[in-house]
Amino acid sequence: EKDEPATSKESTTQMTAKSQEDAAEKPKQKLLDIIGNMKVEVSYRKKLQQLKTREIKKQAPDELDSEGAVPQRTAEGIQRSRGKPLNPELVEAASAVASSLPLDKKQTESELLAQLRRHEETTDKQKKGGTVNLRNMIAEMAVKRQTPAQRGVRISNRISLELDEDGQQIKLERVNTRRSLKVGRRLNIFTKASTETEMALKTVSPPTIWDLEFAKELAAVTAQPPRNGFEEMIQWTKEGIMWEFPIDNEAGMEEDAEFHEHIFLEKHLEDFPKQGPIRHFMELVICGLSKNPYLTVRQKIEHIEWFQKYFEEKKEFLQGI
Amino acid sequence: PCTRQVRGYYVDWRMLRDVKRRKLAYEYADQRLRINAIRKNTILPKELQEVADKEITELPRDSCPVRIRNRCVLTSRPRGVKRRWRLSRIVFRHFADHAQMSGVQRSMW
Repeated sequence: EKDEPATSKESTTQMTAKSQEDAAEKPKQKLLDIIGNMKVEVSYRKKLQQLKTREIKKQAPDELDSEGAVPQRTAEGIQRSRGKPLNPELVEAASAVASSLPLDKKQTESELLAQLRRHEETTDKQKKGGTVNLRNMIAEMAVKRQTPAQRGVRISNRISLELDEDGQQIKLERVNTRRSLKVGRRLNIFTKASTETEMALKTVSPPTIWDLEFAKELAAVTAQPPRNGFEEMIQWTKEGIMWEFPIDNEAGMEEDAEFHEHIFLEKHLEDFPKQGPIRHFMELVICGLSKNPYLTVRQKIEHIEWFQKYFEEKKEFLQGI
Repeated sequence: PCTRQVRGYYVDWRMLRDVKRRKLAYEYADQRLRINAIRKNTILPKELQEVADKEITELPRDSCPVRIRNRCVLTSRPRGVKRRWRLSRIVFRHFADHAQMSGVQRSMW
């Protein structure tokens, strides 16, 4: 049942494709145009129908001399059907299409009928306005000149496939897409999730022991043994067993301190007396520390501070000598 | 310093004492280095060096690195231990013959 009306329509359109002047063919052609414009369908049959409508459209201007004949004829068809609210054939066709789709029948039927009505309205407006509407459209287009240029920029960015140099351009692209996403009517497909309560929960409690345990379990379960040598090497690199290539000679060294902080340690000697054996001794200490590549700056400063404290404690003893 | 019973899986008590000495030596390493720097000096006055001598003797006896003995890791044998593998010669031979030592082969030439 479902296949017959569609196939019969297709056969009829194929039969009557050449005879464009047939009146009965126009509402069917219009319906096929509508079906071609429908955005709901997903199945392969609809794509076939779309292809056929495009073929018919291509055939139509070839056979007819004037390009405006088709919309005029559709407008005439609409004029004839406007007497009744909707052409009963169209209604039947809409019901057949709705039944053929796997979605909710009544909803698709109502959507198709609404689409038909919208189409009628738009064609009425076209018929009334004529060139005036076009002029308005062009005037509007003149105001929004940026969008086609932006689109061209986006297309050129996509084609170029460069990431390093055009990083900024791609960021702009992303910003533009974000703006365009929020513009327009809402589809009301998704319900608004309450994000406020989630945020409040997260800020209140730090990760509990159970969360940590769960995370550890997840990591243990998802960490599959390496399937090949490459994955093994990746795992070793992450753990630190294997070095990273190309070899970085300064891997693992402290990154904070510059060379001058290691070598020029005289500024730490300000508290010491400037004459005498202690100063001599400390200068030797500093010379040795500056040549030591294995200690951190912090450790060297700690050495010098310990000596300072030691000599402070022994000051009375030293003055006795 | 642990006041409770020491329970672990070291081979024998000598090994445990060796472990304690190593830990203490690590803790006092910097201090010993600095005091020794004062002692082994020709610039500073001798009185200061004598004071430093007394100070170093006051440190715990197990903190000096000289008391550490490189024992075998598996059998705690004090003698016949190869430093590279930290194993005594008997254990080394055992593993090498069972092909459990990577890169070690019986030599013949």
